[in-house]
Amino acid sequence: MQGMLFDVLIWVMAIVFVIVEFVLVYAAIKFRHKPGNPLPKQTHGNTTLEVAWTIIPTILILGLGVWSVQVLWDMEKPPVGSDPLEIVATGHQWWFEFNYPDAANGKSITTANELKIPVGRPVSLSLESDDVIHSFWVPKLAGKQDMVPTRENPLWFMADEEGYYYGQCAEYCGTQHAQMKFAVKAVSEEEYIKWVEGYGESPSLSTEAQLGQQLFAGKGQCITCHSSAGPDSEALVQARVNGFLSGSAIAPGPNLTDLATRDKFAAGIYDRNSENLKDWITNPDELKSGNYMSKLAQIYQTEDGNANLTESEVEALVEYLQSLK
Amino acid sequence: MATIATKQSEGNTFSVIWSWITTVDHKRIGILYFVTAFIMFLVAGIEAGIMRMQLATPGGNLVSPDVYNQMFTMHGTTMVFFAIMPLNAAFFNYIIPLAIGARDVAFPRLNAFSYWTFLASVLFMNFGFIVGSVPDGGWFAYAPLSEQPYSSNQGMEFWSIGLMLAAVSSAVAGLNFVVTIVNLRAPGMTLMRMPVSVWMFFVVQILLAFAIPVIAVGLIELTMDRLFGTLFFVTSAGGDPVLWQHLFWIFGHPEVYILILPPMGIISDVLPAFAKKPLFGYPFIVFSGIAIGLMGWAVWSHHMFTVGLGPIAVSVFTITTMLIAVPTGVKIFNWIGTLWGGSIEYKSAMLFAVGFIAMFIIGGLSGVSHAVAPSDYQQQDTYYIIAHLHYVLFGGAILGIFSGIYFWFPKVTGKLLSEKLGKLHFWITFVGLNLTFFPMHYLGMNGMPRRIYTYATEFGWDNLNALSSFGYIVLFVSMLIFVYNIIKSYKSGEEAGHDPWDAPGLEWTITSPPPVYNFSELPVVEGRDPYWIVKRRAVAEGKEIPGPQPLVDPSTVHLPDPSYWPIFTSVALLILAIGFMIEIPVWFVKYPISVVGGLLVFVGVLAWSNEPPTKEKDH
Repeated sequence: MQGMLFDVLIWVMAIVFVIVEFVLVYAAIKFRHKPGNPLPKQTHGNTTLEVAWTIIPTILILGLGVWSVQVLWDMEKPPVGSDPLEIVATGHQWWFEFNYPDAANGKSITTANELKIPVGRPVSLSLESDDVIHSFWVPKLAGKQDMVPTRENPLWFMADEEGYYYGQCAEYCGTQHAQMKFAVKAVSEEEYIKWVEGYGESPSLSTEAQLGQQLFAGKGQCITCHSSAGPDSEALVQARVNGFLSGSAIAPGPNLTDLATRDKFAAGIYDRNSENLKDWITNPDELKSGNYMSKLAQIYQTEDGNANLTESEVEALVEYLQSLK
Repeated sequence: MATIATKQSEGNTFSVIWSWITTVDHKRIGILYFVTAFIMFLVAGIEAGIMRMQLATPGGNLVSPDVYNQMFTMHGTTMVFFAIMPLNAAFFNYIIPLAIGARDVAFPRLNAFSYWTFLASVLFMNFGFIVGSVPDGGWFAYAPLSEQPYSSNQGMEFWSIGLMLAAVSSAVAGLNFVVTIVNLRAPGMTLMRMPVSVWMFFVVQILLAFAIPVIAVGLIELTMDRLFGTLFFVTSAGGDPVLWQHLFWIFGHPEVYILILPPMGIISDVLPAFAKKPLFGYPFIVFSGIAIGLMGWAVWSHHMFTVGLGPIAVSVFTITTMLIAVPTGVKIFNWIGTLWGGSIEYKSAMLFAVGFIAMFIIGGLSGVSHAVAPSDYQQQDTYYIIAHLHYVLFGGAILGIFSGIYFWFPKVTGKLLSEKLGKLHFWITFVGLNLTFFPMHYLGMNGMPRRIYTYATEFGWDNLNALSSFGYIVLFVSMLIFVYNIIKSYKSGEEAGHDPWDAPGLEWTITSPPPVYNFSELPVVEGRDPYWIVKRRAVAEGKEIPGPQPLVDPSTVHLPDPSYWPIFTSVALLILAIGFMIEIPVWFVKYPISVVGGLLVFVGVLAWSNEPPTKEKDH
């Protein structure tokens, strides 16, 4: 229905465009002044004609309008009897947080910037925000819907085919609005279950990764804003938000528990590989200026904005992050 | 400007400047509006250029993200409030009294106050560039992004307080012109004999008088939040961000018609003058304008389809928005009807008027596609919207304004603009605007969001962006040609005479430029297109076509005296505004400079009301 409405709309627009522009250009050329023209006939209007071109567009427009409203109501809710996957999506400056209260078998999950969903099952989102207004938009799957603080906006969609669907914040939300992207990754039911089951299981860490783990909680103080071992409770996120609002060096940061299962990082803008992660940890402001990690984290309060870490410490952190599956 | 001044008041440079500062002559105020607004139009154009150059290539790094965000905030704000609105105001000022056969507006000093307050708001907001606190919350300033702590420098204060000054200016100007049009029409100039330009200007004044207070409420609340710790839109304390959006768009959608109705009126005067036949369906055009003015109040939430208002609200606003296309369509059909059967002379003014219709059709049709909410869910906040609004505001408003400039420039200066340069200007503008804005339809449908300072090459937006940026350069060249034309024609243009176009309006029955008193004898209007009636009767009777009204000694005509109280009061308002930017706590007063400014405003208004409009000796 929706696709048909778009097609008809485009055709109606195209036909009206061609007719009206043609008549305009025809009149503009045909009736141009030629030397010796007498004064043209001084007509003042034609009531029949004018009433006709008021009423005909009204009918056309009302027809389109009523049909749009019908389509609008049809697409409001997921099909009756389907069992949609419930997800809470929260916008942050400048990344997306996804909470699955019940991803599968009662297990809850917090992840960021990559929304993994099973193919062929409707997804029902509650869209929220902890700071400014954002907008959740995956063009190929659904129209956009704003994430407004103080509100919970519903949106549903379903991916019919497996794939990587590009998404993007569509409401201006500050410095890095342009770099606030994400993706919906539609995978088979088995793969989805595998991801859910693997989530938060302690990964096996190499010696270097273990050093990284210590830095994550210790010298790096990453843990202030990022969790890496399981979902975030609502209270934890709220504490981080309150800390930010009161001016402390803390803000909500993406949950990294399953970072190594994501294709990209930093809100969908860089490929997740060791080299990029190393650049990012060394100086995030150079890769995404204005981000709160550079502004707030103690280790970046240096002259050149480079992390107060040795190269081997950065490498250990990367090694740790790369093993979070 | 200076030469016009010396024609009206002999004397040294100081007295010339003083005569402009204290002027209450609607024609001079119109010229001041035009010059200021046109400069701001160029400034906002350069801001657009910085954006287009940044986006010319993927991953462009001409400016930082923050500077880019400042550019689109100031481009939008400046174009709407400091370019198109005051360019329209230039026409209101200059043309309304001439076209209705009046000697000035109803409240000449209030008119001067409107201009000076407008200038104060321009200077105030752009002062942010000098102190490095440029507004960056978008021209719509959605809360809570426009609130602390998300916008922590003084940029949004420059924006909100600056716009309050502009709001004062527009609101009093609106009331002034309503009173002028209702009360000061020449004998015989009934409402249904008024030129359509004046009709559309009239509708806009009423919209201004009602819409400006709505944005003023929002601006006051936002400023109170930022300066005095109120919580209207502070979401972390339970404030409602959607309230701001309602206030903004209840003003914002009538504002769209405040921008576009005056150019619609202008071309409704230009088309008959060059087609040599009366406007087709005058009552339909007038009443469709009034209908647009009324219906414009019932469509604002189509800017908010994705906010989550629920399907009932979205359905209602889908239908109301759809319906507003009807009166707009009626206007287009009637304009084409005016051309039909005419003998069209393609002077530059006429080219721009026909160009307006051709471009406005595109903007109107893409507008219908936004009204269809399911399709707007995809289009909202993409380049498709940018394409739409620029076809309406550039292809529509700006082309209409250019049409008006070519049409009335000879009346204002007594010189004709060069037709050769004018036609060149038109065609380059026409090509440039389509190159710049047409590709944006495709960019939007391919998913390019608005307000992004960069994009990656993988999305395939590179070529269309490059084309659009190239179009900007074409537009830039066309503006240079226009500015050159204005300067050259003003200095050494052909003498225009009083009626270069054989036009129908009253303004063409007096000399160019008009004398300070406009009409030595108030004209008596016998019908629509009054000057045509007079001229054609003369031709039919084989008599000589009556020339312009003879000039008389200005001191014999009753005119208001110049006054410095309007500019005094505007400067006092500016001091009041500046005071809020400088916190000097004295006892319990946080902003003492504002208190001083407020007292000065009071002094200014008091002195102004006690000043007689003319000295006793004149009576």
